[in-house]
Amino acid sequence: MSCPICGREHSSSPGRGRRTPAKEGTCPYKGVAYVELRAGHDQIYFGRWRRMDASSIDLRKAYRQLERLLREIAAALETEDIPAARMDLEKAFEALNTAGSGEEGPESLRYMDHALSYAHRVIGDLLHEKGLPPHSPADFAGWYDAGEVPFREDW
Amino acid sequence: MIPIDRYPKEITLRDNTLVTLRPMIAGDAESLWSFLRQLPEIDKAHFHEDVDRREVVERWAKALDYDAVLPILAMRGDCVSGSATLYRNRTGWKQRIGIVRILIAPDVRHLGLGTAMIREIRHLGEKLALNYLLAEVIEEQQAAVRALERMGFEKAAVYRNFVNDRKGHLHNLVVLLHPMSGLEKDRFF
Ligand SMILES: [Zn+2]
Repeated sequence: MSCPICGREHSSSPGRGRRTPAKEGTCPYKGVAYVELRAGHDQIYFGRWRRMDASSIDLRKAYRQLERLLREIAAALETEDIPAARMDLEKAFEALNTAGSGEEGPESLRYMDHALSYAHRVIGDLLHEKGLPPHSPADFAGWYDAGEVPFREDW
Repeated sequence: MIPIDRYPKEITLRDNTLVTLRPMIAGDAESLWSFLRQLPEIDKAHFHEDVDRREVVERWAKALDYDAVLPILAMRGDCVSGSATLYRNRTGWKQRIGIVRILIAPDVRHLGLGTAMIREIRHLGEKLALNYLLAEVIEEQQAAVRALERMGFEKAAVYRNFVNDRKGHLHNLVVLLHPMSGLEKDRFF
């Protein structure tokens, strides 16, 4: 996918590479591990579909983005032995199916939210296997047209 | 088979601190004792023994049996910064339930070590084909409760004024359960 912030194609580096601090003009996703998954996650996380004034077009777009994100996560998981993450990914697909099966509305939104949370946890598992801290969308919020970002406390 | 071939495992915390995860060995008694001594009282309330006494910890270190109790330590150099312990019954009606206990040193809190330890225990629980992980946390330990919930644990019960700390004060006990993937396969037998 092309990067939601800079539009370029970042090469994936699921190695131990740590995030390089963003210089002015450089993209914050450049060089991060599992860049497509993290950028793909954030594109949805900060997407218009979650706003009060979201249209049904925004919602359908987010649904397709979620579908693609889950497929990409599934591909990344294929070569990893993380059973807990597989279970979460299954739940993510289940939630997405439930969201897509009914009418558009708050229920559908809620299930899409669930799917995205499960996806976030699986991305965290993938990063953990590489010895890296979990993905925090708040670190990238400044580059999106994001309103209030919920504070995520770590333990 | 105890899945400890993944250790030692190096992880980076949010502030770039490097921590090595590995099972506790007999030689860890001294560092574990120092770690336990710096923990706030509330974190030690569940212990049956006075862990501030060095001989108690030394006795544990000599009697390690990973089949029953698997302690994973987070090491920063020679210092213990955290521990995640998985308790199991080898026989009986609770043999598919793993009990989880996670302790984090005050100076590395809120850097993601607790969450990383939950991920480790989830991984071990899956590999050991457990059906449930069970965590008991005193309600005041809110960061731990929230982290467990974010990682798929669900509050099963809150017992009011249920447990006492070592000074005799009563606390609410939160019991959290994490269903494992093996449960689905087992359920219909
Ligand atoms: Zn970019």
